[in-house]
Amino acid sequence: MQKGGELVERTETRLNPGYGRWTPFWFLAPAVFALLVIGIYPTISALVTSFRRYNITRPRDGFPFIGFENYINVLSDQTFWQSLGLTARFYVTVLPFQLFFGICIALLLHRPGLGMLRALARISLVVPLATTYAVVGLIGRLIFNRDFGVANQFLNAIGIGGMDWLGSPTGAFIAIAVMDIWQWTPFCALIFLAGLSMVPVEIEEAARLETSSKTALLRYVQLPYLLPGLTAMLILRSADILKLFDMVFVMTRGGPGAATDLVSIYIQRVGFRVFDMGMASAQAILLLIMTIVLSRLYIRLIYKEIE
Amino acid sequence: MRKLLYASLSALALMASAASLPSTALAQDWLETAGKPFEGKEINVIFLDRPGYRAIIKLLPEFEKKTGIKVNYEIVPYENSREKQVLNFTSNGDLTIALVDLVWIGEFAENNWITSIEEFTSDPSITDPNLKLDGFFPLLLEAFGSWGGKTYGLPFDNYSGLLFYNSCQLKEAGFDKPPATWDELLTDYAPKLTDASKNRYAFALQSRRGETQSADSFMRVLWPFGGSLLNKEFKSNLLSEGSQKGLQFRQDLMKFMPPGIVSFDHAEAVNALAQGQVSMITEWSAFYGTLTDPATSKLGDCLAVAPEPAGPAGRLPALGGFSLAVAEQAPDDLKKASWLFIQWATSEEIARPYVEAGGVSGRTSIYEQPEIKAKYKFVEPMVASWQKGVPEFRPRFPAWPAISEVVAEWGSKMMLGEVSTEAGAKEIGTRMEDILGKEGYYDGKRELLQ
Repeated sequence: MQKGGELVERTETRLNPGYGRWTPFWFLAPAVFALLVIGIYPTISALVTSFRRYNITRPRDGFPFIGFENYINVLSDQTFWQSLGLTARFYVTVLPFQLFFGICIALLLHRPGLGMLRALARISLVVPLATTYAVVGLIGRLIFNRDFGVANQFLNAIGIGGMDWLGSPTGAFIAIAVMDIWQWTPFCALIFLAGLSMVPVEIEEAARLETSSKTALLRYVQLPYLLPGLTAMLILRSADILKLFDMVFVMTRGGPGAATDLVSIYIQRVGFRVFDMGMASAQAILLLIMTIVLSRLYIRLIYKEIE
Repeated sequence: MRKLLYASLSALALMASAASLPSTALAQDWLETAGKPFEGKEINVIFLDRPGYRAIIKLLPEFEKKTGIKVNYEIVPYENSREKQVLNFTSNGDLTIALVDLVWIGEFAENNWITSIEEFTSDPSITDPNLKLDGFFPLLLEAFGSWGGKTYGLPFDNYSGLLFYNSCQLKEAGFDKPPATWDELLTDYAPKLTDASKNRYAFALQSRRGETQSADSFMRVLWPFGGSLLNKEFKSNLLSEGSQKGLQFRQDLMKFMPPGIVSFDHAEAVNALAQGQVSMITEWSAFYGTLTDPATSKLGDCLAVAPEPAGPAGRLPALGGFSLAVAEQAPDDLKKASWLFIQWATSEEIARPYVEAGGVSGRTSIYEQPEIKAKYKFVEPMVASWQKGVPEFRPRFPAWPAISEVVAEWGSKMMLGEVSTEAGAKEIGTRMEDILGKEGYYDGKRELLQ
């Protein structure tokens, strides 16, 4: 038997001459290495910096370890909480629109027929996603320009007078929300579309024979397949909105007043205008913790394996 | 006899022509000699996408040809230029020249990121015999290039706040000259030049959140009304009568500005004048080119320029600009090569081609030339503005960027009416004193320099 076993092993080795104990390691190594360099190392570095007094424009003061002082300062900083509150408001404003429009677009694209048009629509959905944030901001500034912007021309055409978008606190908030909805609804649509295409054809057909109600079909057959995508989307959007910077900075620079001063804009200011890297790192680490907690919550509350 | 006469005449002519040889030729000979040891060296600097930089880029081949030094420049937006340089200087990067906005001079000098020019002027082999520091407008050399009694940078891209106005619209409204004072502008001119139903407004004050709000809008209304950001003890002076008067004036003037003025940056304000939506703006001299270019402006001959209006405390217009200084981090040979470039770029010799290419020189002599005065309408008011001014129009100490952020936030909240000028001033004062306290200005650790 033993001899037989050895024989099999030898034959296998001969069949796969390049395969050894270390083979999986080499396959994984590039990804792990890249992750270490661009993900783990900066995070650890930020964590260490967050415990130091680290203002790079004041090298004379040195960079001593100061324990939790930066964290205490952040947590007692009114502006930080205000900007975090505004970010939360932004999140709950844009997300329902993105989910609603996303699911509508996905359902439309999931319907059979019009193959060519559907393919075209799918491709055009990628355009907003592929647009750089700063460019979205520039487009936003043009669209919402008070005098020659498309937004006001449209409002005037339907009889509602134009408004001063970027110059008023409410207008500016709506403007950045609209641009975010424009850019990210296609992402939701594509994820939902992927979810819908995972529903086994036979189950969907059987359900269509059972009921003519599209709502029931969506609720009982399609929705379970959409939940994993929805969870991923919530996680990605939370992380993304917490770090949303370029588009808002280009459009409003956080103004007017503090109307669009999202937390990322505030952190950028602390980090790269005041250059207080210690404080900015502490803020970033707190955001990271928040993102992780939110992700765990989403997974626990929404994510369900399909059986 | 005749031969002798001819000979002496030719000798005289030769002497005369030698004496009148343009100083350019001599100076450039000097530059060639001084540049020899650095042939093939490369120096690095950051430029902005503004007329003064485009002008020097046009002239660069001449410098590179004479000296053999290669000038590498990267064009970055103003908003990122400090960030980029600070990161470069703190990580021993490759920049050999610092582009110093007047509000950064304290920070750059105190952190030893830039080298005092004394280090170079003591070496005649690398110093222009025509350097003539007294040929710069004293206000510019003091404000843009000096800190704590030492000179670090030479004024390169120079601005003064000016009143640009649409003389045709003013004439239609019955005014044949621009307002001389801010009060006149508000009470006489503004009501007659504003017609909201036609989307026409008297004035636009660029006030977008950021340095535009803090420097161009907020600080602009403090000084002429007798206010200031800080008092002598470096405590907030924003609740003083003068400061409050200035801030209230800005609120009153807003009635005659286009709606949404808090979202106007330089581009929007200049464009509003260029397209005839507003009749007057106070903007940097550097925008003259944009306003005269038919591709970007409808104004044509209607464009006129005057010094900024005076306030009860006098004419104290906005002052801004950049100097070029040698970066301390550069190796010795590149420091010297950079010094040659800085002297050349700010020299009297290239002042004329620099101005003709769209730059604004900081040298006095160029603006005395009648052709220059005649060709560029902004020259006379600008020279008048540079005769007197406050170098600390915006404090130039290292704490300014942090304070600027506070002013930008609360300054625009004031304009929006979210807080009163008094409450806003109080809030800025508290936060500003907190920043200055941390910087060590109140416990005698630091000299009160601004």
